[in-house]
Amino acid sequence: MDLSALGNCVISASCVITQTTSGLIIGLLLFMVAAGVSLIFGVLKVVNFAHGSFYMLGAYFAYTAYQVTGNYAVAVLAGGLGVAIFGLLFERLLISRVYGSPVLMQILVCYGVILILDDVVKLVWGPDFLSFGMPSTFQSLPILFAGGVIPVFYLFLIVMTLVIAVLLGLLITKTRYGKIIRASAVNPTMVSALGINTGVVFASVFVLGGLLAGLAGGLAAPVRSLTAGMGLSVVIESFIVTVIGGMGSVAGALVGSLLIGLVRSFGSIGFPLFTEGLMFLMMVVVLVLKPSGLFGKEGR
Amino acid sequence: MLRIEDLSKSFGGVAATNNVSVHFPKGSLSAVIGPNGAGKTTFFNLITGAFRPDKGRILLDGQDIAGFSPPEIVRRGIGRAFQIARIFPTLTVHDAILGAVQAHTGQHTVMSRRFPLAETEDRATHVMDLVGLTPKAHTLSRNLSHGDQKLLDIALALVLEPRVLLLDEPTAGMGPEERWTMIDTVHRMWEQERMTLIFIEHDMSIVFKIAQRITVLSYGRVLAEGTPEEIRRHPEVIKAYLGDEFEAAHA
Amino acid sequence: MGNRSSLARDCLIALVAFLVLAALPYIFPSRGFTDFVVRLAAFGIFATSLNLLVGYSGMESFGHGLYFGLGCYSFALIMQNFAVPIPVAFLLTIALSVAVALVVGAICVNLSEIYFAFLTLAFQMLLHSLIIAWTPITGGDQGLTGGIPRPPFLGVRLDDYYHLYLFSAGLLILCLLAMYHIVQSPFGYTLRMIRDNASRAPFLGISVFRVRLMAYIIAGAFGAIGGMIMSLFVSGAFPDFAYWTVSGEGIFMIMLGGITAFLGPVVGAAIFLLLNDMVTKLTTHYGIVLGAVILLFALGLRKGLLDFIVDHWRDRQQSALAAEGRTASSPPSAKPVSAGE
Repeated sequence: MDLSALGNCVISASCVITQTTSGLIIGLLLFMVAAGVSLIFGVLKVVNFAHGSFYMLGAYFAYTAYQVTGNYAVAVLAGGLGVAIFGLLFERLLISRVYGSPVLMQILVCYGVILILDDVVKLVWGPDFLSFGMPSTFQSLPILFAGGVIPVFYLFLIVMTLVIAVLLGLLITKTRYGKIIRASAVNPTMVSALGINTGVVFASVFVLGGLLAGLAGGLAAPVRSLTAGMGLSVVIESFIVTVIGGMGSVAGALVGSLLIGLVRSFGSIGFPLFTEGLMFLMMVVVLVLKPSGLFGKEGR
Repeated sequence: MLRIEDLSKSFGGVAATNNVSVHFPKGSLSAVIGPNGAGKTTFFNLITGAFRPDKGRILLDGQDIAGFSPPEIVRRGIGRAFQIARIFPTLTVHDAILGAVQAHTGQHTVMSRRFPLAETEDRATHVMDLVGLTPKAHTLSRNLSHGDQKLLDIALALVLEPRVLLLDEPTAGMGPEERWTMIDTVHRMWEQERMTLIFIEHDMSIVFKIAQRITVLSYGRVLAEGTPEEIRRHPEVIKAYLGDEFEAAHA
Repeated sequence: MGNRSSLARDCLIALVAFLVLAALPYIFPSRGFTDFVVRLAAFGIFATSLNLLVGYSGMESFGHGLYFGLGCYSFALIMQNFAVPIPVAFLLTIALSVAVALVVGAICVNLSEIYFAFLTLAFQMLLHSLIIAWTPITGGDQGLTGGIPRPPFLGVRLDDYYHLYLFSAGLLILCLLAMYHIVQSPFGYTLRMIRDNASRAPFLGISVFRVRLMAYIIAGAFGAIGGMIMSLFVSGAFPDFAYWTVSGEGIFMIMLGGITAFLGPVVGAAIFLLLNDMVTKLTTHYGIVLGAVILLFALGLRKGLLDFIVDHWRDRQQSALAAEGRTASSPPSAKPVSAGE
């Protein structure tokens, strides 16, 4: 525990700026993964523990695409689309068989997939940490802001993820598809009775979740080292987020993610070794006081 | 025995039970009837502690039990069977009833001895015989026919030596022949054990055949209460509810 | 039903089993064999204790590893820092686990399926984070090294690997005997009733919260015993023993061997360890093989090995009974009053 360091940071403008942007980035990238987890749970009542692997695959797909084309935009898209397809296969071949099964069965299926994917990644890309490298577009001088510095790439990330978050929000609330998803979450039988193919709806939710996670992986790649275990910490944090924000609530996932992001970045100064513990503590507190989360509906 | 006074319960602004007052004398066999949504099951839920009433008293032998928890109410002698039988699928009929007996005698957390406890066998056998399930003693509950599951549901309630037994639609989901067999069993059981029995029922011919007293609920209120003769002649009841069903049963 | 065993009979079986196990190292004098049995004892007790919750109570805990890790670390820490005999450390560890289980259980036990799974996981990871963070006491992510003092007690010298083997095998059998007795007691059947229909139980006068909490505490205590054996085996404690993968592996062991049969989890633990050992010898791609086996079980078989066997036998028994029921005359009852008039 290093509270003096934390104290010093809070009163220093540059430290606050650095930590806040860092927290925002962690939070927003986490949001993209957690939103997928939340949607999948909300609509399908499935706990997709393997979602972190989606994120990991996104990063690796993006890496290869970047090696081949040298174009960052293409790389990120490759990450997103690649995982979207993977999500579809995952849902159709594996998850659809455990709908309605006990939670532990679903977790077991995900656990199996995680084990396989981790090894596959090691096989295909090698066991060493990979470095994506900062794309040249972003290799310019950092921006000065309110007494602190913000790397250009971070700014890009913040803007990009906010745009995606807004688009996602619009998709859910304003489009017919969004209505169908929300209806399926509440009453899938009714939706099916209305002539809508719930199988397609369910699969599409996984595609959407995969897309978001894959994009997140690709976007994050330049500032993370790629390794087979990278999905794990992300998925655990995503679950903390969805619990805090409320299962099935995308708005809750946003609030939860930002909260976690800031706790992580400021927390790593004050509690360098117990940062994870802080987050679990928050999860415990929320589950005890309001099990359905900040934005969740009661009785799920 | 059981006196209900001004019982009321609302859910989100809708009064499911509205100032209901009824008296069930000791040892009586009464029916509670009314159309779907009249609040019959809610009425049972309030008596058995599944819900807490907003207002009113539930007097069991003079003691107000309104708001007590289900285990507390069970301990005071009110037993209940459910519209959809709530049984224990993986246990055999015999084991399920034994399990209920040990719960009744407070021995359900004993860890030093093996199940079943010898002293629970007598009561279990008695109850099984009473409902006629002895031949199926070693059948798994989930493999029982629908009618037998309802019987088991009643048996589980009987185990508790209830002074008042509430049966929620004991003949629900049964064909005409099976229904009379069931109601026979209920009647025989009532005669033998001399408990106060209250049942919810939709089949009017059954109700008029065996009930000593009938309470008619409608929109959460008591529409009428009395002997089958009185109810039969009650203008409002005839008008609103018995019309077609009554005609059909007594044509 | 006549096929229920008595405590006396089970004790006899346990004794025989122990004698057999005691003799085996003379037939298989390899260190590998005794090591396997010690690990099997640790995980077998752990998995069976988890099944008390999952299989018998319907409580799907995903954080049972909390007690494995707690047992491992507390035992190791007590032995390293205090000069107490091993049995005392043993009892202290169990006492600590009971205390933790009481608190965690009181919070978690009445939550619905998914939230129960998550909250138990959260508590486990909280312990894990504590272990990693509290380096001066726990050795942080390096774990507790430096070995565990093994003062002899009652003639048992746990630094001798045959003694450790006997100790672990004996504990395994004793714990299984105890858990089996609990499961076959009136309490055990109350657990089954709650599992089958928790909404009916209160109407029979059962306090669901109290009974579930008792089950949770018992499961936690036995889980910790598994952890203690592991601590002796590795002569220390490592953060991995508190990581969520321990819980995952526990679930997997139960699924492999069977939820319904009492010995299912032990069978599953044995299969898992064998699989583990075989695969790591044959290939470095341990994950792919293990993952594939998990998927095979979760999606294909959907039932553990022992369950498969037991259910098949039971189905045959039940259809025989049903056939009997059909041929016997209908039960005598009062003549039905004719319907309507």
